[in-house]
Amino acid sequence: MFDQSANYINRRTFLAKGGFSLGAAALASQLAKAGITGKSNTSLYGAPHHAAKAKRVIYLCMAGGPSHLETFDYKPELDKISGKPFPDSFTKGQPIAQLQGKALMAQGHLGGFKKYGKSGQWISDYLPYHQKMADDISVIRSMVTEQINHDPAHTFMNTGTAISGRPSMGSWVNYGLGSESQDLPGFVVLTSVGGRNPQPIASRQWSSGFLPSRFQGVEFNSSGDPVHYVSNPAGVSRGHQDELIRTIQNLDSKRNDLVDNPEISARISAYEMAFRMQTSVPELTDLAGESQKTLDMYGATPGDGSYASNCLLARRMIEKGVRFVQLYHRGWDHHGGLDKYMKICAGHTDQPTWALLTDLKQRGLLEDTLVIWGGEFGRTPMFQGKGGAGRDHHIKGFSMWMAGGGVKAGLSHGATDELGYNAVEDIVHVRDFHATMLHLLGIDHHRFSEKFQGLDMRLTGVEPAKVIKQLLA
Amino acid sequence: MLRIVPLLAVVTVLSAEEEIDFNRDIRPILSDKCFHCHGPDPETREEDLRLDTFEGATEGGAIKPGKPEKSELMARILDTDPDEVMPPPKSHKKISKAEAELLREWIAEGAEYEDPWTYQHPVKSPAPAIKNAQWPSNWIDHFILARLENKGLTPSPDADPVTLLRRLHFDLVGLPPTQERVKSFTEAASNNLQTAVETEVDFLLASPHYGERLAIYWLDLVRYADTVGYHGDQPHNISPYRDYVINSLNRNIAFDQFTREQLAGDLLPNPSQNQIIATGYNRLLQTTHEGGLQAAEYRAIYQADRVRNASAVWMGATVGCAQCHDHKYDPYSAKDNYQLAAFFADIDDESHFKTGTNSLPTKRPPEILILDKDGKERLQTLDEQLTVLAGGKEKQITELSKQESTLAAQLKKEKDAKKKEDLQTHLTATRTKLGELLPGDSLTQWKQLTADRKKVKTGGRLTMITKALATPRMVRVLPRGNWLDETGEIVEPAVPHFLPQIEKEGRANRMDLANWLTDVEKGTGGLTARVMANRFFYLYFGTGISRSLSDFGGQGQPPSNPELLDRLAVEFYESDWDIKHMVRLLTTSRSYRQSSLTPPELRELDPYNQLVARQSRFRLPAEIIRDNALAVSGLLETATGGASVKPAQPEGYYRHFNFPTRKYKQDTDQRVYRRSLYIHWQRQFLHPMLKAFDAPSREECTAERPRSNTPVAAMNLLNDPNFVEAARVLAERILSGADKDTGARLDYAYNLVLSRNPTDAESKTMADLLDYANKDFKQHPDAAKKLISIGQTATDPNLDPIELATWTSVSRALLNLSETTTRN
Repeated sequence: MFDQSANYINRRTFLAKGGFSLGAAALASQLAKAGITGKSNTSLYGAPHHAAKAKRVIYLCMAGGPSHLETFDYKPELDKISGKPFPDSFTKGQPIAQLQGKALMAQGHLGGFKKYGKSGQWISDYLPYHQKMADDISVIRSMVTEQINHDPAHTFMNTGTAISGRPSMGSWVNYGLGSESQDLPGFVVLTSVGGRNPQPIASRQWSSGFLPSRFQGVEFNSSGDPVHYVSNPAGVSRGHQDELIRTIQNLDSKRNDLVDNPEISARISAYEMAFRMQTSVPELTDLAGESQKTLDMYGATPGDGSYASNCLLARRMIEKGVRFVQLYHRGWDHHGGLDKYMKICAGHTDQPTWALLTDLKQRGLLEDTLVIWGGEFGRTPMFQGKGGAGRDHHIKGFSMWMAGGGVKAGLSHGATDELGYNAVEDIVHVRDFHATMLHLLGIDHHRFSEKFQGLDMRLTGVEPAKVIKQLLA
Repeated sequence: MLRIVPLLAVVTVLSAEEEIDFNRDIRPILSDKCFHCHGPDPETREEDLRLDTFEGATEGGAIKPGKPEKSELMARILDTDPDEVMPPPKSHKKISKAEAELLREWIAEGAEYEDPWTYQHPVKSPAPAIKNAQWPSNWIDHFILARLENKGLTPSPDADPVTLLRRLHFDLVGLPPTQERVKSFTEAASNNLQTAVETEVDFLLASPHYGERLAIYWLDLVRYADTVGYHGDQPHNISPYRDYVINSLNRNIAFDQFTREQLAGDLLPNPSQNQIIATGYNRLLQTTHEGGLQAAEYRAIYQADRVRNASAVWMGATVGCAQCHDHKYDPYSAKDNYQLAAFFADIDDESHFKTGTNSLPTKRPPEILILDKDGKERLQTLDEQLTVLAGGKEKQITELSKQESTLAAQLKKEKDAKKKEDLQTHLTATRTKLGELLPGDSLTQWKQLTADRKKVKTGGRLTMITKALATPRMVRVLPRGNWLDETGEIVEPAVPHFLPQIEKEGRANRMDLANWLTDVEKGTGGLTARVMANRFFYLYFGTGISRSLSDFGGQGQPPSNPELLDRLAVEFYESDWDIKHMVRLLTTSRSYRQSSLTPPELRELDPYNQLVARQSRFRLPAEIIRDNALAVSGLLETATGGASVKPAQPEGYYRHFNFPTRKYKQDTDQRVYRRSLYIHWQRQFLHPMLKAFDAPSREECTAERPRSNTPVAAMNLLNDPNFVEAARVLAERILSGADKDTGARLDYAYNLVLSRNPTDAESKTMADLLDYANKDFKQHPDAAKKLISIGQTATDPNLDPIELATWTSVSRALLNLSETTTRN
């Protein structure tokens, strides 16, 4: 359990590296009041441990498990045996979800593949806009994970374990580096509408686990209040709310003169930040200031809750100092109707993803923003046929990509075997992916731990993890 | 546990003038810095050296008792060569100078090892001698005062009576004291504070709200929730279990029996319905309602979950760490983990992998139907009436009426004329027979009564229970926790190998486990008692005697006052596991009465309040913040038990759900004012208010909640319509309950909310807010109307809307004060 007994110590971290940070002067006075001395703005870990290449992360989460075989992983041999029994040598004793006990038939690629860009990356016909980004993105074609059902696999991808109650990567990153924003949370989660029977997403995926709860992801909503309770109650004007908050702070401060409780100082700051958030959040989510050209580039209609609008919001957030944005598209579980749903999902995400990368590049933000794209697992090279050809869950080999801050552009890293079943070359486990992400952010995953239940807990877990050196620019 | 807490400071506080105690001073250093490579797990042991046993440490000369200068261990930890120094730089662990000095002294004194304190039977030490004999109220105080005197400290003075009364009420029933109670207590306290406290404690222990308050803690431990947790997080049926916990705590059922009923109530001889409801414990884990899943993976997840929870709740242990490998710090082996899992292998709960997945309502057999008192009576009456009508021929009648409805349904569908005719003949014959058995009106009556009976039954609540399978699932050790690996040894139920064993012919079952956990002589009852005693202390002092409330292992914090902890543990089982007795003992101690004001010196010396030279002050738990607002406004609905309730929450909060998609149906009656522990516990999307104030998702055992202080929580308390409504109703109460002048109203308001009068300065600040609000709402009367229309309680039409809105602002300020949400 994270320590609560000495709340004033938590308070210090609240001020120094909380989801919200105070201005220097206010901070100094709060610290003085709390009787806390010493440096205020450094991380607990001395992080960054080395020069950071990326300052922030946008993680484009394709929930459901996009098929690597219809996106980035081209296997001509698979096409050759399409419709024939899948070789037993690959599948014997291997974990299978819905295809358990069924005859396993090979399913060749739907859609064609070509090489694109100077880098000559293989990219599927389903992703015309990705084709334009071939030289910007670094595709890992040899991912493996350990969990085959959606929820545990998702939890594994976000927290490094399938056990509930552990911090997600966005919480870890904010815990290590703090937020750059005065009035916005450091970790924001956006979910998008649309896609095949959308995956349910548990709030566990942005939980701060045993880390202080201020590091948990804050969900932004596309309708109603952008953040819960960010609006004043009906009938209460901004001036009135301001007056009310001043009164509360004034009375709390009087109380503190009597009882000298550092928690009260922290609370006064929390109310200050709440007040600021009540202005900054609606400003942030109001896309009225964006040009039509920009909206068109993303394909976004303000307020529609689409992936496209969320990509645009993500850019606005990182501009304002949000450290970690996790953006979900939930439609990628294609057991059947793969062709139809690939078209739908690519239709939702392909162009906006390209627009986001392009926009970041144009604004000079891509060089220190890490963009990640991927799902919780891949899909079988074997046929599954619920409503037209589809594919089952697959954990032994799949693809993800990274781009931006510190990532070598246009790289193809690792490979699966000739049928796209097992990752065989430069295998990248989820924990290696975590170690690499942390490395880019200037954090040494070995040294980045927190005590919980007596153990040194890490995002990368207990098994050895390695930074993928080849990916680094 | 944050790195910025210098371990040095903690070490010196604990050991300045005391002898070195292996378990308290040395084990934590060795465990944290050395055991990972030189500890119990042979797989990761390096150089064949283990430092967790005396033999291991001394055999090869790593430690030479009495001779630190000749001990390799000292040489290596002091070495400056990065290739030689221990722990090695790549571990990112360092032994501080103070720690090295402690190790040196300990070796010089003979390097005595002690068995880990957590596995030693608790010792009943006599109350230590003290100088200030006037101070103690009971023996707990002797243990605390002795340590303070030893350190040259004095306890804090008693808290003032009002603070103390509020503390007692929040701690014991989770509700603020009424004004009458404040009056009677302060009067009694002026005569004799100790007697006043004792009387108040007895009064509170007899309240039905006591069980509700303590249940919050137990429900956190056992991870009670209203939804399955994984994937679509659909609702499941379990609320009668929650009521079982509340009722059992109110009835003060002995803790050992409480344990047996939950783990193995189904295995008791002739179990009562309550005891069967209790077995819902075994069904509380997170499950999935996902279609097309890989069952073997979930089976492994479930069994690991059950071991993690039962071991955390009753043993305060992290046995779950041995899911993949032998525990790195404690003696639990991977086999121990799977043998514990085997106790639960008879729980029938896999039909849900196939039954109605991805749709609602979920079916999770075995379940039973629970009726409330009215329902039960109604059902009994109906059954009696049916018996009278049937005149001993129930069986035939039931059969015939079943036949009748089947035939009627078939007839409806049948197209073939010939078959239709046959069916019609058959049906008529059946009806004639029925008519003979139930002549005249009685057939109609029978049908009506049967329909009523069905209705009553659907008004009941289902609840998941435990049924034992005739053949338990086979459990194997899963190498590295890998559920695909079928090479591991097949295991039978057994308790961890290094603890007293269950002596039984044949397969041990859940009842044996429950008995073992609570048997002081033959099992680990003493250890269980210590785990729970520590948690009781935490509940009433804000911190455990050991700060690790669910990790009584090598890496946990050793108890700051081990004699007191042990004595409390012994007291618990010697009182026949009497929970109310323990609560009474703790809350009527002098130590409990201390002021929670913390002078800077004490904060510096003892930041975690391990010496108890003061009481603790902390933000109230989520549920109690809301219950308090409802209580002071007069909205609180105090009924106990029943189906979970749904107060207002933001629109669209459930948009992340699917299989199926869902909309939150807010309750529209008095249920929205019920206590917060009854709020529908949606694991993945817990009510935002509960979440903002750190209520856990209940995916895992929670023995200690964080107490955060965030802008999100501030926005909640300011803007959540549930709180705005409470503020408005509180304003109505102020306006109709006090004299008209502002001073009287403010006094009345402060007394309702904080049990005291405002100071002059506070009144002035509030008066300024009143002025502002009054002007604002006079200018904007529509705004006033909008504000006072929030919530489902009708506005008092006799009140002036502008005045009411103005005072609603004052009430909002009051409900948002730090003092209002703090237990002092």
